This record gives sequence, C-alpha cells and structure tokens, in this order.
Amino acid sequence: MGKKKKRVSSKVWCYYCDREFDDEKILVQHQKAKHFKCHVCHKKLSTAGGMAIHVLQVHKESVTKVPNAKPGRESTDIEIYGMQGIPPDILAAHYGEEEDDVPSKAAKVDIPPTQLVGGMIPPPLGTGYPSRPALPTMPPVYNPAVPVPPNAWVVPPRPQPWFSQPPVVSVPPAAPYTQQPLFPVQNVRPPLPATAPALQTQITPPGLPTSAPVPVSQPLFPVVGNNHTTTQSSAFSAPPLPSSVPSVTPVMSTNVPVDTHLSSNSSVTSSYQAIGVPGGAASNSHSYASGPNTGGPSIGPPPVIANKAPAPQPATNEVYLVWDDEAMSMEERRMSLPKYQVHDESSQMSSIDAAIDKRILESRLAGRMAF
Amino acid sequence: MASAVPATGRELSNPPLDGITNLRFSNHSDHLLVSSWDKSVRLYDASANVLRGEFMHAGPVLDCCFHDDSSGFSVAADNTVRRLVFSSNKEDILGRHDAPVRCVEYSYAAGQLITGSWDKTLKCWDPRGASGQERTLVGTYPQAERVYSLSLVGHRLVVATAGRHVNIYDLRNMSQPEQRRESSLKYQTRCVHCYPNGTGYALSSVEGRVAMEFFDLSEASQAKKYAFKCHRKSEAGRDIVYPVNAIAFHPIYGTFATGGCDGYVNVWDGNNKKRLYQYSKYPTSVAALSFSRDGRLLAVASSYTFEDGPKSQEQDAIFVRSVNEIEVKPKPKVYPNPPV
Repeated sequence: MGKKKKRVSSKVWCYYCDREFDDEKILVQHQKAKHFKCHVCHKKLSTAGGMAIHVLQVHKESVTKVPNAKPGRESTDIEIYGMQGIPPDILAAHYGEEEDDVPSKAAKVDIPPTQLVGGMIPPPLGTGYPSRPALPTMPPVYNPAVPVPPNAWVVPPRPQPWFSQPPVVSVPPAAPYTQQPLFPVQNVRPPLPATAPALQTQITPPGLPTSAPVPVSQPLFPVVGNNHTTTQSSAFSAPPLPSSVPSVTPVMSTNVPVDTHLSSNSSVTSSYQAIGVPGGAASNSHSYASGPNTGGPSIGPPPVIANKAPAPQPATNEVYLVWDDEAMSMEERRMSLPKYQVHDESSQMSSIDAAIDKRILESRLAGRMAF
Repeated sequence: MASAVPATGRELSNPPLDGITNLRFSNHSDHLLVSSWDKSVRLYDASANVLRGEFMHAGPVLDCCFHDDSSGFSVAADNTVRRLVFSSNKEDILGRHDAPVRCVEYSYAAGQLITGSWDKTLKCWDPRGASGQERTLVGTYPQAERVYSLSLVGHRLVVATAGRHVNIYDLRNMSQPEQRRESSLKYQTRCVHCYPNGTGYALSSVEGRVAMEFFDLSEASQAKKYAFKCHRKSEAGRDIVYPVNAIAFHPIYGTFATGGCDGYVNVWDGNNKKRLYQYSKYPTSVAALSFSRDGRLLAVASSYTFEDGPKSQEQDAIFVRSVNEIEVKPKPKVYPNPPV
C-alpha cells in the first residue's frame, strides 16, 4: 500500500506537549529535560513514574502531575518513553485530524496543498479534564502550519515525507540548545580534578564508549554522563580531562555495553547528597569525560594493576577513605582496646596483643597519611 | 517520621550494651540472634519485640548463627566456639581456635559448623557430639591470612581473608580449595555473601564498592562479573568513601541489601544492575543486616563499627522493618515493546 513499512523517517512527537521532533532520541532527551526532570535537584529521570518515585523517596515530596504537560496529559501513571507507551486512543486522536480533513477517502494518499495554508492543527482531545488550568511554562509550538504525518499502524503511511518543509528546520536546533544550559548546573558540583592521582584511584575507561553513529553519540553522551553522575550517591570528584590523560588504562570490555544499557534503561532512584563546592571547568569536556567514570552505582571497572592493590593509594583531597588501614580490619583495631581484652588464656592473648600492636605501629608508620 | 512505626523500622527493646557484630534471622521463625561487643549473644522474638535469652562469653562475640530454632552457635574473642541451647539457656564449648574467631556459619547441606579465625585457619565441627575437642573437630584448614568473612550456599564455602584473598571450597572435599582467588576490589575485604541461586558471590570492601562474582570459570560466566560503587558522599570538595559492612540477600527475589558506615541501607538488583531503594538514614553505621526467612522483615543493626577509632556516647540499636515488595522486587521493563 504505502512505500514505507516502517516509520523510520517519519516525525515523532511528544505525548505531553505535542512538540514534533525528527529523531526519537532527541524526543527522549526532550522528555527527560522538560517533563521527567526533578524540580528539586534537577536530576533527569527516564520516565514520569521514575521521576515521581525519585521525588518521593529522595525529597519526600509528592508529584502528581508531569511538569510542562498539556491538560489531560499530566498523569504520572502512564509510562511514556519517547513514542512508546502512548495510549492508543491518544495516538489515534493525534493522527485522526487528517482523516477528518479528507472524510471522503478511506485511504489517504497525500495532503492537499491548501491544508498547509489552512493554519494550525487543532490540538487533539486528551483523556482527563479539559478544563484544567494550563501550565505557565507551556513550550511554544514552532511549526503550527505543518501537518503531522500518520502513524504506520493507524493509517497507511504517506509516500511523501514531510521533513522537507521549511519550518521543520527550526526544530532540530532547539533541542540541543535546551541541553546546553543544563551542563553548567551539573558540572558546578565537582571540584577541580587532580588528574594524576585520580587515575590511580579511579580507573576510568579511556575515551568514548563505542557507539555506532558518530553524530548521534556526540549530543547523547553528556546526557548519559549527567544521568550517571546524579545517579551516584556522590558527585564525581575526579573526572580526568581527555587532553591530560597520560596513559590508557585497560578496562574490561563488559563495562562499555553496560554503560550503554544503563543510559537507555535508567530508572534508578538515587539519594541526592549535599552538593560539593563548585569548581570551574569547561562544561562540555568535563561532563563528556566524566561519563564513563561515573557509570552509576552499578558500574565500576575492577582494577587490573595487581601490584598496586595491597598498598593504600596516596589520595589527595579528592577521595577520602573512612577506613584506610589495609593491614587490619576495624574489628582487629577495636580488639586492641583494653576494655575488650580477654582475661582468660592470658598467655595466648598477650602474644596476640603483641602481634596486633606491631601491626598497628607498622600501619601507622607506613600506611596512614594525614589528610 | 512521627508515626506508629518510624521510617527506620521498629526498634527492639533491650539492645546490646555495646557494638553489634552480627544479627541473623532464624530459618524457621521470626527469632533473631544478635552478637555483640558487650560479650553477649541475645535471642529476640522480633515480631513480639521480646528478649528471649542471653548468653555470655568471656570476650566480645564476633559472630553468631542459628543451628535450628532450639539452638545456635557463637564465636568470640576468647577463641571459643560455643553452642547455645535456647530452651535451657545453657551453652557449652565445642572447641577453640588459637586466636579470636571472627565468623561462623552452619551448613545444613553438610551438617557441619564452619568457623574462621584470625589465627589464619578454618575449622569444621560436627555439632552432634558432646563436648570435647577430639570428638567434634572435623578438620583444620590453613588460610593465607586472617579470616574476615565466610559465606555458604549449598556445598560451596567462600572464605575471604586479609590480604584480599578469596578461597572457594567444596565442603565435601576440604583438603584443597576448589579455587584460589584474589579479590577484584583493590581494598580490604569487608564482607562476602553468596547468591541464593548458588552461581556466585557478592564481596564488599572498605572502599565503598561491591564486586559481583561468579563461580563458573568459563569465559562466558566471567564476562558477567562487575563491580559498583556505593555508600559514598561528596562533601567540602572531597569524596568520602565508606566501608560496606553488610550484604544480605532477599530469600525470594534474589535482590540484596547493603549497609555501610554512612548509616544507609540500599537495596540492589544485581541482575539488572540497578538500585531499587534507599532507606532513611540510620543513627550510626549499619553494622549488620538480615532478611527473615520469608523476606517480609529486615533487621538492621545500627551500631558504630569503629571506623573512626574510639568514640563515646554511641547508641547501639536494632531496627526491624517491614519490607514492601516494591523495595526488594526487581522492576519490570519500563516500557512495553512497540506494537508491530
């Protein structure tokens, strides 16, 4: 029937605000930035439900409406991810406008040129209460004159794509532009990194994680990095700058696909701790480089340099280990207190005491450094 | 916060008078066995919030475990391994190590008690016999370093020691370890716990990390292992990293909780590499965690673990909280597959 069986080149739109996008990935970024962002800590979640749970668990507030959503579309119970999860009736109503315009034909072939001149498409009626007050931060419609292409499984697709329309050009630059002001906010938290000791304490995969489309990976990566950063219970403290990485540390290959998996399926609620003292840095390179380093609470490359393992790292202000005595455990240290000494079998305990005291002295002289 | 049950859970009456080293739920009831630096082992009915028994050692008790609902075992800094009989409030000594005994596990599969000590040995005991070293000690197995943590699943025993050694044994053949490993984390091992499905173990360190490991040495299985950071916070321009003291697996869902010196308890889905939940902060370090047999309760030992050296005025407490399914159940996929 139609030339296209898939809607690879068809435009996608946001369920919450009806804005159109050329690419679903950009649509997902838009949703995370505009509708799934926590209003308290500005962390971007992946779904409305995840955002509501995050706000409830971390900030103890309840969110019942998706921010910046049209009336009738504010429910956090519907799980939207890009174009996925949109209720079928909403989807049909969104594309049903063209059907009304051509009532005499069951199968639509082309949009008449007069339709373009006709003006704005009336917004589809959503489920809920149409009388709800509109949100003040409703984003403006950039291309009111452009009709929306039909969805493949609702009506047969048109043979002619609509992205050649002149007003469409204004939409793609808008999405990356909205991303840019977010980066300085995210990057204000980490202090200036001391690269050399950081590399020893935080083994990071070098360069970029592998992803097929080069132009797509560029704008996606900082968002991934930001999500991972805020997912951790602490802000990333020592992201190495790419230009100052002295050597490439080998990393297990499984870490890279795991990062990719997390970025696409991240609904982790996180505890947002106190913001660190802001340290200035180039925002793009900073968040860009720190992405793989802060791969989220479930990712961390295991160290491969065996000879460094037994010795505690001489960390600077970047990382502070609460327990840094590698020679003995917290229980062994505590056992050396007089009140915990065992009075039975004093001969055996005295030899143990001597051994523990010796280890304490050795660890204090060799291992412990004042911070 | 001001409700019948606080966000941290219900606090048990008559807590230990000093630091808590471990706590475990019974496999048959809601009884809870707790060992402490105050030299006591206490038996609580966690549902009724009643202290049912108390047993004294000559030194701090470093670990304890149930045998069945009528008896348990404890190990202490007085080098002894003791059996506790709850109904008569009596105890007897199964045997001794040459140094404080750090951990104890009872294997239902093998019918043996396994203890690990700072004397760098592992010992197996047959608890059915009466007192007497010769009749109960099954074997002594030297370790490279002082034993810090043990975990059992089926016939498998994982021993984590100082120096970051990890030895994996089959209880049916204790003469040699099945595998000798080194921790994939580069700092001191804090806790090891096997997966309930028997495929591997989780290992935590003092550096706020947990490593997820697998027993199968094939390339395909080893490719699944990973580690993640947790129990950290950023403050005044530095990253503060806390030891991860406790790992407890949910008996039904296979998810697990971690507790750290930062006072937080997190619940993780190890298969999907997600954090499911973070509970409210506890008054001090989380020293131990235990799920009840049906997973409906989680016991949390809020007790200073000496990470900052000697301190006074620390409040030791045991909280028992009801566990909601949403906190421990792996979440399904967020979005459905697009219709064809």
